[in-house]
Amino acid sequence: MFKRLTCLIVAATAGALSLSACKILPTPSGDEVDAAAFNPDAMVTEIWTSRVIPYLQAKAASFAEVEAAAKADPEAAGTKYGNPNKQASSPWTYAVTLDGTIVGSNTKSRAATIDVDVDGDGKADARVQFGPAMRGTSLRDSLDFVNFNEFTNQIDFAQYGKAFNTYVDSTVLSKLPREDLEGRTAKVLGAYSTNKGSDLPLVTPAEVEIGPKP
Amino acid sequence: MKLTRRTTLVAFAALLSIGTAMPAYAADLIAIITPSHDNPFFKAEAVGAEAKAKELGYEALVLVHDDDANKQSELIDTAIGRGAKAIILDNAGADASVAAVQKAKDAGIPSFLIDREINATGVAAAQIVSNNYQGAQLGAQEFVKLMGEAGNYVELIGKESDTNAGIRSKGYHDVIDEFPDLKMVAAQSANWSQTEAYSKMESILQANPDIKGVISGNDTMAMGAYAALVAAGKGDVIVVGFDGSNDVRDSINSGGIKATVLQPAYAQAQMAVEQADAYIKTGKAPAEEKQLMDCVLITAENAPNLETFALKN
Repeated sequence: MFKRLTCLIVAATAGALSLSACKILPTPSGDEVDAAAFNPDAMVTEIWTSRVIPYLQAKAASFAEVEAAAKADPEAAGTKYGNPNKQASSPWTYAVTLDGTIVGSNTKSRAATIDVDVDGDGKADARVQFGPAMRGTSLRDSLDFVNFNEFTNQIDFAQYGKAFNTYVDSTVLSKLPREDLEGRTAKVLGAYSTNKGSDLPLVTPAEVEIGPKP
Repeated sequence: MKLTRRTTLVAFAALLSIGTAMPAYAADLIAIITPSHDNPFFKAEAVGAEAKAKELGYEALVLVHDDDANKQSELIDTAIGRGAKAIILDNAGADASVAAVQKAKDAGIPSFLIDREINATGVAAAQIVSNNYQGAQLGAQEFVKLMGEAGNYVELIGKESDTNAGIRSKGYHDVIDEFPDLKMVAAQSANWSQTEAYSKMESILQANPDIKGVISGNDTMAMGAYAALVAAGKGDVIVVGFDGSNDVRDSINSGGIKATVLQPAYAQAQMAVEQADAYIKTGKAPAEEKQLMDCVLITAENAPNLETFALKN
């Protein structure tokens, strides 16, 4: 996959001259050439089922287990549940599963969220992004086979990160109910990074199942 | 007589110690090249790099290219001519700088890039840059919150040749554009400049008196825009910047500008010098050429802890 990525990047930098080698349709302006050559949405679509989901399933553990490990030793936890090759100054990102009850939701905001209680005490333990607007690049950052050095620049790397969120919103989140969520069960596979603030941990989902109304 | 002899001895000892403090060969040279120090961000980089270089026993040659790729090329020639052992560079353009960095490499001098990337890998020994996209998302999320997810706003964009101008704008829009009630009424480049931002903001206000917020690609432009807003009696407009300068910190502390995003400029420059030092001593380049450093959101809450592009704990 990254061979192809490199090919695309070479095409993007070298411009029209090498485009024919990559079977990319020629487009006139500089920006459009870039957009045609580098297609993060297609890249994510291509690896989603074959690599992203299996990776997250293999790496993830229950929220309680990951939280305890992250509190004890963030680095060991990050290596086990996340990407050990992450950028040195970035926070650790962990793959995680949630299995609990929705105890709160904010679906009025475009950046909607649901709050999930996983230990049955009636209090929210984690906040799950519910789209359509989603923050951050947790899904990208949890993957150990994604390397910033293989991208032309931050812009491409950022667009690639955003493409994961877009994909989840269009294929998963946009199909879920948004009313009367409290009291329903939620099963989530996703990723989150540790935050220093007092906010709930913010999980970016890759898969979400919402149970029927109680 | 005794006294004289002792004095001579002391003098001789003093002379000896001077001799050891000044070796026969001059210290190795590290060239530090950045944009103009008019912007405190670049000054902090240069000061941070110079301090670290001296601490590690190097001589530092501090130069500014003023965002002129031709001048940058001449300065690289100067660094090569002076026999610099490494170059710390905040470059003058993602495409235009590739040749200059290659020229240094061909002369056997490794370049350690800070702040801005170039559109090539394998030319510089390291590219240590702030995660501008992550930072821009932080700034934009705060901006959206302050705006209450609705209202007219203006975007001030940085210098086009600088990748960071584009990446920040992209990071802003990837967040803001998800909120259809936020309407961008004007977007203009003020080239990172405070005075240009002031005059651009003045004319934008004439055409769009009804604005609720301004999101700016950096702090100097945020300062210029906010001054223009105050002059027009619109000091309550929400302004968010990027960089984490002391000027904006002071404005946040006094209730002016609402937020900015700190780039760890000082630490970044020091890290580049440490990696250059390791390269000079061991011949080893850092494991990863491209290294991202995360940014931190600055609001009234943590602004008092901000000093010269570093957050005190």
